Amino acid sequence: MYNLHLSPEQLEIRDTVRDFVTREIKPVALKAERLDVCDRSLLMAQIDAASQLGLRTLALSEDRGGAGADALTACIVTEELAAGDADIAAVLLESSRLAHLLFDRAMNDAQRDALLPKFLGGDRYHLAFAGHEGGTDTRLGVNYHRPASAAAAVKTTAVKSGGDWIVNGVKDCVANAPVAGLFAVLVQIQGRPGASVLLVPSDAPGVSVRAHDNAWLHGSCGEVAFKDCKVPAGNLLGDDAAALLTGAAAPGRGNPLAQALNLGIGRAAYEAALDYARLRVQGGRPLIEHQAIATKLAETAIRIEIARAAIWQAAWASDHLDAIADRSLPDLPLQTVAQVFASEAIMKATKDAAEIFGAMGVMRDMPLQKYIHDARVCQHSGDGNTDAKLRIAEELAGYRRAGNGAMALAGE
Amino acid sequence: MDFTLSNEQRSWQMAARKFADEEIRPISLARDAIATARETWDWDIIKKGSKLGFRTMAVPKEWGGQGTDFVSQALVMTELAKADSAISKAFSQNWKWSHLISSACTEQQKQRFLPAFVADDTFVLGKGITEPSAGSDNRMPGDDPKTGLKLRAERKGDEWILNGEKAFIANAPIGKLFFIDARTDASVAPRQGTTMFLVPSDTPGFRIGKVFNKSGWRFYQNGEMIFENARVPHANVVGDVGGAVRKSGGAGGDTTGGDLFGDLELASNALGICDDASETALRYAKTAKQGGQLLFAQQNVQLQINKMFMLTEALRSFVMRVAWEHDMKIHSRNAGLAMNYSCDVVNEVSELYMEVRGAQGCHMDPHTDKLVRDAFIWNHLAGDSVSRMKIARRLAA
Repeated sequence: MYNLHLSPEQLEIRDTVRDFVTREIKPVALKAERLDVCDRSLLMAQIDAASQLGLRTLALSEDRGGAGADALTACIVTEELAAGDADIAAVLLESSRLAHLLFDRAMNDAQRDALLPKFLGGDRYHLAFAGHEGGTDTRLGVNYHRPASAAAAVKTTAVKSGGDWIVNGVKDCVANAPVAGLFAVLVQIQGRPGASVLLVPSDAPGVSVRAHDNAWLHGSCGEVAFKDCKVPAGNLLGDDAAALLTGAAAPGRGNPLAQALNLGIGRAAYEAALDYARLRVQGGRPLIEHQAIATKLAETAIRIEIARAAIWQAAWASDHLDAIADRSLPDLPLQTVAQVFASEAIMKATKDAAEIFGAMGVMRDMPLQKYIHDARVCQHSGDGNTDAKLRIAEELAGYRRAGNGAMALAGE
Repeated sequence: MDFTLSNEQRSWQMAARKFADEEIRPISLARDAIATARETWDWDIIKKGSKLGFRTMAVPKEWGGQGTDFVSQALVMTELAKADSAISKAFSQNWKWSHLISSACTEQQKQRFLPAFVADDTFVLGKGITEPSAGSDNRMPGDDPKTGLKLRAERKGDEWILNGEKAFIANAPIGKLFFIDARTDASVAPRQGTTMFLVPSDTPGFRIGKVFNKSGWRFYQNGEMIFENARVPHANVVGDVGGAVRKSGGAGGDTTGGDLFGDLELASNALGICDDASETALRYAKTAKQGGQLLFAQQNVQLQINKMFMLTEALRSFVMRVAWEHDMKIHSRNAGLAMNYSCDVVNEVSELYMEVRGAQGCHMDPHTDKLVRDAFIWNHLAGDSVSRMKIARRLAA
């Protein structure tokens, strides 16, 4: 059985989100002042509207108030949002993804009863996973096909004091930090072998957030400092939460949401170039009637379509690990495969799209230079494609590393 | 074959390297970071460079310039671009039009404009070709009279009246003298019906519109030019009426001025970016550590560095050959090919550079950020389909 039909629900939500993006996001996101890559201020009103449409709670199960979207549906929605504004897509995908992981899979009943109403109750209540710490070398690099060095121990600590946990440490590059109502914080508890995850509301005493002022990220990202931050003992998640949230449970096999965001950027550039090539007349004919431009557009379409195929396969696989067991799919980190292919293909696609615009392709009040920048952010965030290829190669070589908590975190 | 530089060429290279290291590099990132496009220009660096000859080095010695050869010019553009590609271009843009003055202007026109240009450290030159509805059409003019540029010039007694507008014109916001291509006969193809005029910035009826907010080359300004009954004396016609395309160095024209210098210019400037990227990458790989070892210990990093240097040195060979051919007055079509190649090389080298540097957590350093934005300028100037087909047609001509 090989079936590439989208379900009626998937088609409907794609149309709904595409329509929402056309009506509510693009008119604002394409304003000249918004296209300057130095301006990363979030379009909060549009994020609120998307939340009301159910996109903040998309992957949360239906019986808990979400839409229960599977991985593929979440990727479809993310692509549509990112085609309008990559920052909006980044904020919503993170909240939706974590809503499923935290409320559906990691929390116990008491934790859920305490926190779910708050999450459902506010369009501006976003979720963040505070895992990364400054100065931590997350790359595989020299440790390719070798035992991990004594890298990447979690330095943020949680110490039991009476009925509370006292958290100390600093996290950085935390997606959604400036807009989060709740943090899932990766901490080290003395005496435990691996890292643990503690739930810390953003208004807990001793939490301070500083937004990163940097054009090399999507959405809203920041540093989170915990200074003698006190949370109730009941906020500790179960033992498997760290592996779940860092992706260590299935490294390179997670939902390729970041890749779907990358795809949305590429599609926006491609569609802009296609529209322009139909309208702009040079040499007495529309650009699209010139061989040179036609070929470039065809190559761009090929890159976008093949990238989507890789991303959708990885998305579906992340929900159907049994398809690996029955040999329908290769036992490879398909998310990482999609990441490398899509980020390189879309980088080229955005550059080619910009070239079709001539000088307008490099102007800060025009969208093409922003798409190029956004594609670069996707290509070079995290550890980069050189490192990603080494991770794939380790699997090809059949190499298994013992005690891989920290290394798996690097795979995020 | 002799690849050694003469003492004079070597001394220009050294002077440019010193100026780049001591004056340009220290201000480069700050100028690039200025958010308002109109304010990125810095007269201080232009004046300092001008006093060292970097503004006028393509003007012949008999006219008060330095009269350098093309090899020296290529060396200087590369050295300056290694510190800041946009500032290098801000200087060399003057050479491009100095070459045009030498090859296309009458003695009387040279007398009127060259001494003033040479004497004034803040005198910069530009040329207006592109218009909002005519980009590729001007770069590769067709036969249809309805295509191409629209700016009209009509003879009225001893003057020409110009009406229309130009877009993306380099140095427009700060230049003192411009070459302007205008249609003097709309009933024939642009190639036959276009005339070139010398237009000083204080010409009545001529003004500058917006300054374009580019993602790369931010120091180097491009602006709109607006002509509303601008009055230009007939004495300012360059060459013949209807002869603009020929005089720009097109088919049958001068083999080294105008376009062909522009080709060498873009290739030499790209080489500077590539030098900067490869040398910085190597230095970084030999000092930064990963997993307790130098980055350079990794095979992948060695391969990336190898490719960066291989491409950069291949481009250098091509650039120097073209410069030498220009000096030998060899009618060569290599300049355009070198320019196209420089686009491929600067793209690949800057991509490799990013891969070697990587993001530090979720931050990319400002130097890398600038380098890749500057490098992308080549994609619409030097390596787009039009510029490649244009060179192919030169080969076939």
